[in-house]
Amino acid sequence: MPEVLLQRAFEVRGGDFDKAGETSSEIKALLKEVGIDPTLIRRAGVVTFEAEMNVVMYAESATVVFTLSDEDISIEVFDRGPGIADVDLAMQEGYSTATDEMRQMGFGFGMGLPNIKKNSDIFKLESEVGKGTRLYSAIRLDGAS
Amino acid sequence: MMTHGFRIDQDKCRGCLSCMRACPTHAIRVRDGKARYIPEKCIDCGSCLKSCPYGAITATTWSFQDMDKFKFKVAVPSPVLFGQFPAGVTPAHIVQGLLSVGFDAVWDYGVELFLASRAVLHYVENWKGPFPLISVSCPVVVRLVQVSYPRMIDQLIRLQIPREIAGREIKRRYAKELGLRPDEIAAVYITPCQAKTISILHPAEGVESHLNGALGISEVYNPILASANQQRNGLPPPAEIPNIVRNSTFLGWSVREGLGRSLARHNSLHVTGLANIIQVFDDIEKGKLQNVEFLEAHSCWSGCTGGNLTVANVYVTLSKLRSLVGDLPEMDAETLAEVNSRYPLEDFSLEAPVLPRPIKGQSGDLREKVRLLQEAEAVLKTLPGYNCGLCGAPTCKEMAKDISAGEASKADCVFFSKDRLSELYKRFLLNDR
Repeated sequence: MPEVLLQRAFEVRGGDFDKAGETSSEIKALLKEVGIDPTLIRRAGVVTFEAEMNVVMYAESATVVFTLSDEDISIEVFDRGPGIADVDLAMQEGYSTATDEMRQMGFGFGMGLPNIKKNSDIFKLESEVGKGTRLYSAIRLDGAS
Repeated sequence: MMTHGFRIDQDKCRGCLSCMRACPTHAIRVRDGKARYIPEKCIDCGSCLKSCPYGAITATTWSFQDMDKFKFKVAVPSPVLFGQFPAGVTPAHIVQGLLSVGFDAVWDYGVELFLASRAVLHYVENWKGPFPLISVSCPVVVRLVQVSYPRMIDQLIRLQIPREIAGREIKRRYAKELGLRPDEIAAVYITPCQAKTISILHPAEGVESHLNGALGISEVYNPILASANQQRNGLPPPAEIPNIVRNSTFLGWSVREGLGRSLARHNSLHVTGLANIIQVFDDIEKGKLQNVEFLEAHSCWSGCTGGNLTVANVYVTLSKLRSLVGDLPEMDAETLAEVNSRYPLEDFSLEAPVLPRPIKGQSGDLREKVRLLQEAEAVLKTLPGYNCGLCGAPTCKEMAKDISAGEASKADCVFFSKDRLSELYKRFLLNDR
């Protein structure tokens, strides 16, 4: 069993574009502080940022749990929101339900979830329509992908 | 290896905390009443130098004497130099002035500016991300990324900057023309700031610079002005002056946002001033600037015209440069021909990549580092949070880290130790003000 070294929880509010990115940058700062390899920090940053943006754009709120173990960095996002009806479809590059307004802000190109998956060594996505979505991503510290 | 270019004279330092407060990367501590650097955190910005009321801080310099060991000396003047002098002093006078202070030639690196722009444009267009790419022309910006934003290190453009390309070409061309060895030729940058001197003597990528050294504009200013005045007092104009003003690009470089101008259609940003740059870098980290492809950043708020080794007022300099640029064409046939012939033949890539700077305490066992982090967080909760700096660290947060790393103790905080307070008071009484 991997040993948990550090764990933090963050709250993200839906629709809060102003604060979007803060959780991701706090997690990156923690990882930098403990000397994690910059490439891994970048990957963890992409995962958290994209997951955070999904919450801001689609959900009501979410809890982001960041865990650093002696084996990996994991990001878990539990959101309360509409859920995803077709998870497989949502994972396709370019598929998006974003509004025009979101696109004008430079988001909603259907790359978020595929990007998260690309940067993860382990990726899980479960959703219940009308309740919410749970996303799990892990990045191995030994760099193996 | 020395990683930064400043020294604090321990006799002159009074431990007044000015430099510690001014340092943007928290690289200074005041212990036992004297300021000290954490060398690996210094980015050579010069904020400390400017802030010291007692003249205790000096920068690494290079001098005329260092030039003596070379047989042939070539000046590579920053465009900023030409905007420093009073009306009536022309670029030709300035070039002649440089020759009169001991240089054998003055290099017009307008050609290298074009070469570098072309190489950067190609680099940006072929880059697969992540964006934005960051210009490496300001050494402080490069060091800031190395120290504080290591995750953005791949975004630094891995290309030679114009002055380095010029240095390389100077060695090559004069060695061939004069039958000298390259090490007998000095390529000397006439610099607006000490950061560029340091970047030449100690390049961030750890390889040797193509330039041999740098003289500050303030150092050559008086002799050039004296020479220009002599020239204007009826002496015949010199027979042959290198034609340094063939187009507006060289002199206009500092006025027209340098590289950013040639990258205008690539969503480029030009950011000046260290505080603003830090803000923009933080936004990049937060993912807020994903649509910007190219970032030109200069640590000085007015770009290189505001360097700390300049002499004239920034606005006067800008105005003078604008008037010199006048109606000159952006590019002339002669320069274009040289750019076209050299571009395909030269390699502009950086000889070695710039790497993140290892910071003490950030390597070693992960478990131990997590323990230190958690301990620092716990200590921080017990500190007053006033960031008074009297302990010798710039903020309570930095102090908490120092304490957890064993480099300071809680007894250094005036809120925890009366001894500390009386020690400071004694020092205050000793200092005659």
